[in-house]
Amino acid sequence: MLLDGHWTSESQGEGHVVFNAEGIHCGNCARSIRRSLSELAGVHRVEVNVVNNRVSVDWDTSKLALGKILGQVSALGFKPVPLVGEAAARSQQAERRLALKRIGLAALGSMQLMMYTVALYAGALQGIDEGIAEYLRWTCLVITTPVLFYSGAPILRGALADLRRRVLGMDVTVSLALLLAFFASTWNTVRNAGEVYFDSVAMFILLLLVGRFVEMRGRHQAARVTDALAKALPATAQRIRTDNEVVERVPLAELRVGDLLRVNTGQVIPVDGTLTSDGALIDESLLSGESLPQRRVQHDAIPGGAVNAGHALKLRVSRLPGDSTLHELVHLLERAQSERPRLGLAAERMASWFVIRILVLTAIVGVSWQFFDPTRAFPAMLAVLVATCPCALSLATPAAIAAASARLAKLGVLVMRADAVEGLATVDTVMLDKTGTLTVGSPHITRVDTSGALDATEALRIAAALEAGSQHPLALAFREHQDAAWRCDDAREIAGQGIEGNVSGRRWRIGQPGITLTDDRGRSASFEVADPLREDAGAATAALSALGLRLVLLSGDRHEAVQRVADTLGIASAHAGLRPADKLQRLREAQAAGRRVLMLGDGINDGPVLAAADVSMAMGRGSSIAHAAGDLLLLRESLQSLPEAIGVARRALQIVQQNLRWALIYNLAAVPIAALGFMPPWVAAIGMSASSLLVVMNARRAGTSPTAGVVP
Amino acid sequence: MMASMMLLIPLSLLMLGAAVWAFFWAVDRGQFDNLEQPSRLALEEDPVPSADAKKDPDPRS
Repeated sequence: MLLDGHWTSESQGEGHVVFNAEGIHCGNCARSIRRSLSELAGVHRVEVNVVNNRVSVDWDTSKLALGKILGQVSALGFKPVPLVGEAAARSQQAERRLALKRIGLAALGSMQLMMYTVALYAGALQGIDEGIAEYLRWTCLVITTPVLFYSGAPILRGALADLRRRVLGMDVTVSLALLLAFFASTWNTVRNAGEVYFDSVAMFILLLLVGRFVEMRGRHQAARVTDALAKALPATAQRIRTDNEVVERVPLAELRVGDLLRVNTGQVIPVDGTLTSDGALIDESLLSGESLPQRRVQHDAIPGGAVNAGHALKLRVSRLPGDSTLHELVHLLERAQSERPRLGLAAERMASWFVIRILVLTAIVGVSWQFFDPTRAFPAMLAVLVATCPCALSLATPAAIAAASARLAKLGVLVMRADAVEGLATVDTVMLDKTGTLTVGSPHITRVDTSGALDATEALRIAAALEAGSQHPLALAFREHQDAAWRCDDAREIAGQGIEGNVSGRRWRIGQPGITLTDDRGRSASFEVADPLREDAGAATAALSALGLRLVLLSGDRHEAVQRVADTLGIASAHAGLRPADKLQRLREAQAAGRRVLMLGDGINDGPVLAAADVSMAMGRGSSIAHAAGDLLLLRESLQSLPEAIGVARRALQIVQQNLRWALIYNLAAVPIAALGFMPPWVAAIGMSASSLLVVMNARRAGTSPTAGVVP
Repeated sequence: MMASMMLLIPLSLLMLGAAVWAFFWAVDRGQFDNLEQPSRLALEEDPVPSADAKKDPDPRS
């Protein structure tokens, strides 16, 4: 990971580094990088690939520091980014392609097998030439072999891994059924007697693979977003040498506690440190969700990952990059992601218990038949294995969840974790973040007061002209009011005061106190800047309350700002000034009181809270990290989707329960019939397939739009 | 009857093989890597050519 700084290899004084240089878009860029790096003493080889933006450098580590190379690339206006993310993306692509191939082969094979099998079944009823039947069976064997050993490889391998770890997972019973059915069919084909179950084998594999594919997609999406966050931190820092005050560019890994760093305007602060400049304006919105930049004074602690919104500042490193605030948050998220979903774990435990019962039952059936009629022992055992195959049972949930997920995607809600839909259906409390969730998340002008002969539109245009070149975050609020007719060519920023300049022949100044615009003739205007509510916030919160959900507002922002939002939206329970740990505390309290909580958030500071909630939803346009932690991702800038999504989830859960009941009834009814030998394996296979099909068809209803009637 | 089966079934196997080969080929060529964005590509603005690109008629040079 980038934060560790390990992205080079070195052997005998010869260093090798490959990195992406963002911003290369033509041959000229590539040439200038190649020329400029080759001029550095100690560089042996430079290669720049303009197609994938990749720069590869071999250099003598005794003559040149890596920081110099990266600094040179940065100085040319490109952004060096480590390859880690790209390597991950490549392996994801490979995994996805392999999964698709496996599904494709299984699907095409199943279709073909079904045709031959229909002919065989019809033949069994109407009479078929024995030569043709034998021919068809051999053909089936030819098709099923690659389907089982290529498409089914992950299942068989999973079973092997389970056995090595000495646990009994679903893969074990599934593999046992697959292998038994396959080898029995092969044996019957060779000796030309008895039943074949090739079609069941292929179809079973196909159904299982599709379920796994859906799960894999969610996992990939989550990983991509964590990568995006890692890119937010710079790869290098500007260190000020203590002996001669010279600024040098060094990789983060070379920083030591006590180093003095320089951070320019608009740059990300690379590590945690204490401020040594007199004062600074710090934008911590990525870390704390606080919408407005904060003023910091000398000796204040500044977290890595924040953005320097004011003038260039100096700070002393207090913690190494590996221990920084951002790193801890990323670490927390990565751990939360790697944990298996709660329901998944429960399902695995249940499956293990289920598998033992099936195996015991099959053995009992086999042994019992030995006493009555040994020739019927194998078909009966196979019938039990196939009939009890928890296919319908295992499809009952994922099929409905998949249909609901597709429906949710149309509403702009992406399901990142399979059990999120179930979680969404059962929540009774919604905890909301304010900044960027209920509000737009960026400053806008909400009020203009003018005095003298100045109208509001004119004041806005003049202010926008003055602020046009400013890096100050509040300047963003004026951007939408810019007008080509009003220009300021000599805008000058006065530290701590504001901006001065000539606009249409008059001298104007904008700045303290508050945000006030004044000219040399005493005309003035004052602006109020705030983060306004989303347009549909009111409708959405009302709809959520109507669904019987309790709303709680949690925010790191100031008390007045939070209370105003709560009053406007009619949210009774609002808490302001919370740090991430406080939010987590509130969440845990609610959970301890038996509440099932949906956390809707945005901003990296919500990461831990999102991860701890029963189910979490992150705003898609917010800072990228929140996506990674969210079970669900809201892609639209519209909160209206939320109540609708809960309606869809509740309906899906009803269907899941219906499906589970049906699958259970089928299995309970089929097992005794199969065990007593009244059911040939092919009937068991048809019964299994039919019950699976019924479950899948029923599950599709979860994808249709919910009507008011189904919301309990 | 038997003769036609002898011909048609291997033929169906060949067609299956061709279909699988075509699908694998398409997957390897990246046809299924991104199923969401390309459908909207036609609706988006063309990127404005940058000043550098104008100076350099062949961007791959």
